[in-house]
Amino acid sequence: MASRALLSRASRIKTKLEAALQAALLEVEDVSYQHAGHASVKDSGATETHFNVKIVSSKFEGQTLVKRHRMVYELLSDELQSGLHALSITAKTPKEAAVNIK
Amino acid sequence: MAFSSQLLALPLPFSSRAYSRSLANPVPVTVALLQRHHRTISFTNTNNNPFPYLDNNLAITSGRKISLIRCFSALNPELKTTLDKVVTSQKVVLFMKGTKEFPQCGFSNSVVQILKSLNVSFEAINILENEILRQGLKEYSNWPTFPQLYIDGEFFGGCDITVEAYRSGELQELLEKAMCS
Repeated sequence: MASRALLSRASRIKTKLEAALQAALLEVEDVSYQHAGHASVKDSGATETHFNVKIVSSKFEGQTLVKRHRMVYELLSDELQSGLHALSITAKTPKEAAVNIK
Repeated sequence: MAFSSQLLALPLPFSSRAYSRSLANPVPVTVALLQRHHRTISFTNTNNNPFPYLDNNLAITSGRKISLIRCFSALNPELKTTLDKVVTSQKVVLFMKGTKEFPQCGFSNSVVQILKSLNVSFEAINILENEILRQGLKEYSNWPTFPQLYIDGEFFGGCDITVEAYRSGELQELLEKAMCS
């Protein structure tokens, strides 16, 4: 595995979620630039703070939204403690995702 | 508004100003020290710091017990009891960044606008004003981000969940049930 410094946060997130959730669809988007003027981000000059994550995985079957989000948060707890500030999560099961596309 | 002022006046085991100042200049030393040394750590608010190499008002006292911080957890039993009371004080409680009138974050703002458009009366608590509260809440709710919405004393979700529930109508249903009970 490449050293942490070389991998961007987006790719680390992708790897962790892919491995654990066996996602049919996984999109990770860095939207930190949209929050650059934020109260807590402005002064620290941090990057890679806000991400949109879209996951379609059968592991979400039968789970409430809160449980699904908590699953994702737990998988990314390292990132959350090292500067990841917020995640916008869309967590669907394959059935739900299929319904929306039509 | 009574509860928000109560929260801010929490009798903290150490000076919250010193703590927030130390957070503004995060010194890895403090984390390493907390992990490696199990001595009592004291946060002092004085300027005659006997340990000048730690210049963020964090002093390690060996032997003499000044303060109460031993472990990492921000959620002491006192804070937990207070939070229990706060989340049940009103039907709808929102922990957010900024205030109802001036949200300081897009996600917090979305939830505020949704609740306002549904004409729901809710208590809004600004977690930016109190770092201890902020960290304690993350543990209390088992949720690492803000905003956090509590309905009827139970954790409902963050921004994404609230928006989704608003779109599907689930939120309105739940609020109606909560208001009538």
